[in-house]
Amino acid sequence: MLHTNTFGNLKYVLPALLVYTAFVLLPIMASIVLGFTEWGGIGMPKFVGFANYVALFSDPMFFKALRNTAVLMVFYVALPLCIGLALAVAISNIRPGERMALRMLYFMPYVMPSAVLGIIWRWLYNPIFGPLNQVLRAVGLGALALPWLGDFNFALPAVGMVATWYYLGFCMAIFMAGLQRIDASLFEAAALEGASGRQTFRYITLPSLLPEIRIVLLLTVIASIKSYDLVFTMTRGGPANETLVANLYMYQLGFELNRYGYASAVAVIGAIFILVVNGIVHRVLPTDGDNA
Amino acid sequence: MAQDHKSNQPGKANKGEYEVTDMTMKFGFQRAKKRGAGSLMAAALFLALPLSPALAQTLTTWDDYTAPLQTEVITKLNEKFLADHPGVTIERTGRSYDDLILTLKLTLASGEGPIISKANQGAQEMGAMAKQKQLLPVDEYIAKYGWDKLQSDGLLARDRWSDKGEFGVGATYGISTLGEMVGLYYNAKVLKDAGIDNPPATLEELAQDIATLKAKGTVPFMIGTAKGNMSLHMFAAVSQATIGAADRQAYDDLVYGHGGSWNTATNVAAAKQVQDWAAGGDFLDGYQGIAEDDAVQLFVSGKGAFLISGTWHLGEMTGNPDIHFMGVPGGSGVKDSLVVGGVDLAWTITANAKDKATQDLAGEYLNYMVSDEAAAAWATAGYLPAAALKADTVKVPALLGDALAVWNTANAANSLGHYPDWASPTMYKTMTDNLAILLAGGETPEAFVAAIDQDYQAYMAAPK
Repeated sequence: MLHTNTFGNLKYVLPALLVYTAFVLLPIMASIVLGFTEWGGIGMPKFVGFANYVALFSDPMFFKALRNTAVLMVFYVALPLCIGLALAVAISNIRPGERMALRMLYFMPYVMPSAVLGIIWRWLYNPIFGPLNQVLRAVGLGALALPWLGDFNFALPAVGMVATWYYLGFCMAIFMAGLQRIDASLFEAAALEGASGRQTFRYITLPSLLPEIRIVLLLTVIASIKSYDLVFTMTRGGPANETLVANLYMYQLGFELNRYGYASAVAVIGAIFILVVNGIVHRVLPTDGDNA
Repeated sequence: MAQDHKSNQPGKANKGEYEVTDMTMKFGFQRAKKRGAGSLMAAALFLALPLSPALAQTLTTWDDYTAPLQTEVITKLNEKFLADHPGVTIERTGRSYDDLILTLKLTLASGEGPIISKANQGAQEMGAMAKQKQLLPVDEYIAKYGWDKLQSDGLLARDRWSDKGEFGVGATYGISTLGEMVGLYYNAKVLKDAGIDNPPATLEELAQDIATLKAKGTVPFMIGTAKGNMSLHMFAAVSQATIGAADRQAYDDLVYGHGGSWNTATNVAAAKQVQDWAAGGDFLDGYQGIAEDDAVQLFVSGKGAFLISGTWHLGEMTGNPDIHFMGVPGGSGVKDSLVVGGVDLAWTITANAKDKATQDLAGEYLNYMVSDEAAAAWATAGYLPAAALKADTVKVPALLGDALAVWNTANAANSLGHYPDWASPTMYKTMTDNLAILLAGGETPEAFVAAIDQDYQAYMAAPK
């Protein structure tokens, strides 16, 4: 039974709150504090003020990681959103049985842990044993059989394409749910008025799906800034940091070079980026309530 | 470590990061327990007897022997140790190299963890733990058991750290079981098919052989640089092969952090050599996209004439009887060329060994792990023991025989070199990143050498 005072109700949420505090809030606070220290993992951390942040903004490797993260946003956000939207519209207009089969097929990669997908795709991209290059050679396109994940130009797009493949089914499923929410009479009225398919999409489907687009943007932008697992399992940031992303850089600094203070500063900056980008998305795109 | 060159490197050099990561095995008294009434009676009798301190002790050990064959050997060795120490219990945890270096320091810092552990010799691991008094010196046991007679001083020096944080001097914090070398694997059949009867004795002969192999359409070098370690080993091996044992002091000083410069004609020439090989099509096509494991697999299957890597692949290479091992040939006129190598992760005693009895028991364990008996067990399984092997008592695979010959020669001539990435905590990454650029033709050999020297000088200038 609910109490009238807040403290009386606290006991109902206390177990979850304790777990959340122990595994989320305290680590976040610890990261913020560590960001102002120099700490090698053993001994006492040494307070250094904003030195880590000053060093970070003159660290070319950090900027390279940010640039790569930005490039990956195309593959994590833009491509899945566009392809997912196109697929959702296309699949919504076919027979229910086929629709369900295609929806399941496109969504299936999202069910798998992305780290596992990274390992599988590393093999698919393998220039000697991988089927991709074997097929290219078999059809006479041996010149295109590149060392994908070892190539300075193609490593990042190769990783990015896996992210696109991973997220497009998820985006499609969200958009398909959104399409079911749109009042069918709008489409009927448009048809009666002689609107073309393109006009119907431009003036009815797209505006009606803005809440879903907003959700998809928020989630995929967070995923792109958090990107780590695919890069770690496929390239570990190579060749020569061409696929290094901010989170992997944080891992390397902390767990490989024992610079936990500096790594915490990277984590804090990453969290701030997520908040800022999501804030922009919130402001630019209408909420569900705005649209209703 | 045996599978790796136990550098400061973040990633495993050549074994799966995804294999066995954590397994705890218990031996000894617990293992010997019998079920039923008999065990109850035995337990009652056991409890009624006064126990000596040694009988009540449990040794918690962490090691990196996670490959099936390694696990088999260490299990047998532990069982034998326990048979000689009734009442002692071993709680063993086997961890992959990555897991071990990730967890050991932090666990010891929290006051938990093993009494005995394998530890990487670099500044980041053993150096940091020695500085924080998380490891205990083992000099007492070196004197007591005569380990300095089993292994050369050059090998033991790799476990020394001074109170000021200097590498190679001061107290000794561990001792290794296995030796490692980077050398030239060659496939005699592939060479013979190309009309080459003998392996190259000099770099010049190697160049001739490469030209011959290419003319016959054979891949001269099998290599995979996706993880960077093979290119690092190749560069290091070629570079050190041009340094004679008599002239090694400058290189020793560099790696032991005594100062110096990487910007040498030797290093520039070695960088140019590997760049020329890459540019000349002497590597497997697509080498940038495959890792060391793939390259070794291809080499064992008969693809490629040469492969430069370490003795941690001896076991896999045994699968092809045409494969042999030798030191990377040096330049003509170089006597006793340095052979890149060292020892696997060292056995250490941690500060968790609080009392003298526990420390002494741990010392006994280390002594057994470097004994003739342990060396024979490892050699029989195809691994290269750090201690000189009594060859007449152990039947070793032919390929290990090749490696033992190189090892014994290198130790006798004081020509066992170093992993260059030990020189600074960031050197592995600096070298592998820049080698990828070098091989792709993105920088000159001079720029490559300047980059690694810059890394080193920054480390030397930083407070220790």
